[in-house]
This record gives sequence, structure tokens and C-alpha cells, in this order.
Amino acid sequence: MERPLQDAARLNDLVRAVGQNADKAAFKELFDHFAPRVKGYLMRLGAGSAVAEDLAQDVMLTLWRKAVQFDPAKASASTWVFTIARNLRIDAIRKERRPQFDADDPTLAPSSERSSDENLDWAKAEDRLREALVMLPREQAQVVELSFLADKPHSAIAAELGLPLGTVKSRIRLAMAQLRGALGERS
Amino acid sequence: MTIMHHPGDELLLSYALGASNEPVSLLVGTHLSFCTTCRASVRDMEAAGGAMLSDVKPAAINARALQAVLSRLDDNVPDLARPRQTSGDVPLALRAYIGNEFSKVRWVAVAPGLAHRPLLTRGGTRARLIRARPGAAVSTHSHRGEEWTLVLTGSYHDETGIYRPGDVQSTTPDIFHRPVADDGPVCINLAVTDAPLVFKDLLPSIIGRIFGF
Repeated sequence: MERPLQDAARLNDLVRAVGQNADKAAFKELFDHFAPRVKGYLMRLGAGSAVAEDLAQDVMLTLWRKAVQFDPAKASASTWVFTIARNLRIDAIRKERRPQFDADDPTLAPSSERSSDENLDWAKAEDRLREALVMLPREQAQVVELSFLADKPHSAIAAELGLPLGTVKSRIRLAMAQLRGALGERS
Repeated sequence: MTIMHHPGDELLLSYALGASNEPVSLLVGTHLSFCTTCRASVRDMEAAGGAMLSDVKPAAINARALQAVLSRLDDNVPDLARPRQTSGDVPLALRAYIGNEFSKVRWVAVAPGLAHRPLLTRGGTRARLIRARPGAAVSTHSHRGEEWTLVLTGSYHDETGIYRPGDVQSTTPDIFHRPVADDGPVCINLAVTDAPLVFKDLLPSIIGRIFGF
């Protein structure tokens, strides 16, 4: 059951329709797009099908509850859903806390420079990122993908690949420079 | 405040993509309270996570799952307000472990001028706070694995430089160092090690074994 990839801007609009109008038709469309991908992501990380499906449902319910907080100036809908899935997985499967940075932190260092990111269209940036990910040299793409899907520290990833940790670190640095470059092409 | 020493892309990426364990996430999450540069990096890396989620091969969903979720929607009221945070000098990510105020942390004395407070261990990775009064030093040591030290208050220096609030020092097994707390406010660090320290001299190594350094 391959579902077509939705346009990033449309996904943003659907999340906003849920947040502002509790729009169930919009929610259905988001479910059809995200639930199979979140389940696929969780299974790639080692969850069994039943556990992954339950958790994917929880991710969608969290989307419903928190859609009102969704801010397209900060992240695309896919990124926002990814962070929800990431956090629920750590909580439910790894049974760990995830100490979070929080924008409401009273001890927060104030942002001195106003970054141009406030004007970044994250939906468009996502398309550029996906292209940049495809363009990464194979050995860089491999360490980024393992960071996403292996659930282990880089020392373990390095051992598995039979590489020195320093090599894995430098590949990550090179890959991130490429991805930042793609984000840097502000629209 | 300008942060001079950052955790490095590999730690930020592990944190952003959900691969880092709890002690490392605690270190990175706390560093982000100090560092706008790394906050921007993590946001970019999360965007990469979102892009990768779009390209994950979808897994078939049970035909009744949508109906099951739809029937639960009306019981799930929107989360409108975010909880207000109370005052205190401890960065938010650390509060679940030590409370809101550094002055209320319960310390375990280790050596003259030195105290620590174990926080948590996951696998072989441990997080603890270390408090060093001005002039106090940790004996020359290296590490079997990696160690990351995040300065929370005060500052310290060693052979490699000066570390101030928000700075993260990363050390690997080939580095022997002797950190000394500087004059001024008491130096409190969050230290995360993925293996026990190796001391150069016998006595500190015994102390190390007793106190779990």
C-alpha cells in the first residue's frame, strides 16, 4: 500500500485545519499520509508490527491534540510529526526520558542575533533537504541514515561499520555541511 | 555569552534524531539552553528527520485503525496552554533530576573542594554533576571511552583551554588532563562518561573506585 507523497505545503494546511477547526476530513487525509510512514519508521527501528501500529495511532492522536500548537514558521508538518514520533518512541519503547530544550526555559540564553530563518519557508526547505539527502555521497548518506534508523550511539555505529569513530564523525560533519547548504538557499 | 566549545555535529544529530541515550540527551538538551547556534543546528537536523520520514517506506495500516482513531478524537481535547515554568537557575532539561535551584542540590563530598551528585546510568553511560570550589582540581586522568563535560556555573581550565558556562569539553581516551576550577563562582559541571575514568596515580584510582569516578 504505497501512498503518494503529499506536497509539504498541503500537509501544513491540513495540520492547521485540524488545529483551527478540528477538521476531521483534514485529519483523515493526514492519517492516510503519516500513519503508514510513522509505522514504517518504527518498524525499521525494530518495533514489531502491532507495537508500531499502536504507537502510530498514538502519534496521530497527539497530532490531533497538539495541532493547535503547530507553527509552520518553525517546522514543516513532516518535521513536526517526526519529533512527535521520536519522543513517543523514546518514552514507550526505550522507557527513557528525553530531556528537552524548551523555548519557555526561564534560564534560556536570549537569542542575540535575529536569524534569517524566521523567513524560511520550511515546507519548501523540506523539498530541498530531500534532494540534498539523495545527493549525499554514499558513505555520508549511510551514517546519516544509521543515525536516523539505528537507535545507537555513533561509537556503536562505527564498530559495526568497522570504521574509526573519527571517520564516522567527519562523515557526519561533511553531510551536515551539505544539508545546511541546502537549507541556506533561502527562498 | 558566546559559547566557544560545542558538543559537535555527531552528538547533536544523535539527539535530534532520537538515537542518543538519556545521559547524552540530558547533556545536549541542557547545552541548548545556553547555545543559540546549536539550537539552530538541531532544528535543521530535525528538518532532515522530517524529510527522511517522508521517504520511509510506508507500512500497511490495519483497515480498522483509522476508524479506531476517529472514534477516540472527541475524547482527546486540544492542548491549548503550555505549562508555565517556575523560576530557578537550573536549566529546564535538568530540573527533573535535581530540582529548580543549584543551591538545593544534595552533594556527596569526594575530596577537598570537590563534590559530586550521581544522576543516572544507562547502559555504560553515566551522568553526574561535579562541583569544584575555586582552586580544586581533579587528578590527572584519561578516559576509557568518551567524556563530555558541560559547564553550568563558574569556569575551569586544563591543558587544552578555559571552559565557561555553556561550553562542552569532549575528551577521548588519548587525552590526559587535570581540570582546575577557576576563581569566582563555584564551578558546577554536568559530566557524562561512557566508561570509567583512568587515573594516572594509584591513590586517586582508589578514591575513584570508592566514589565511582
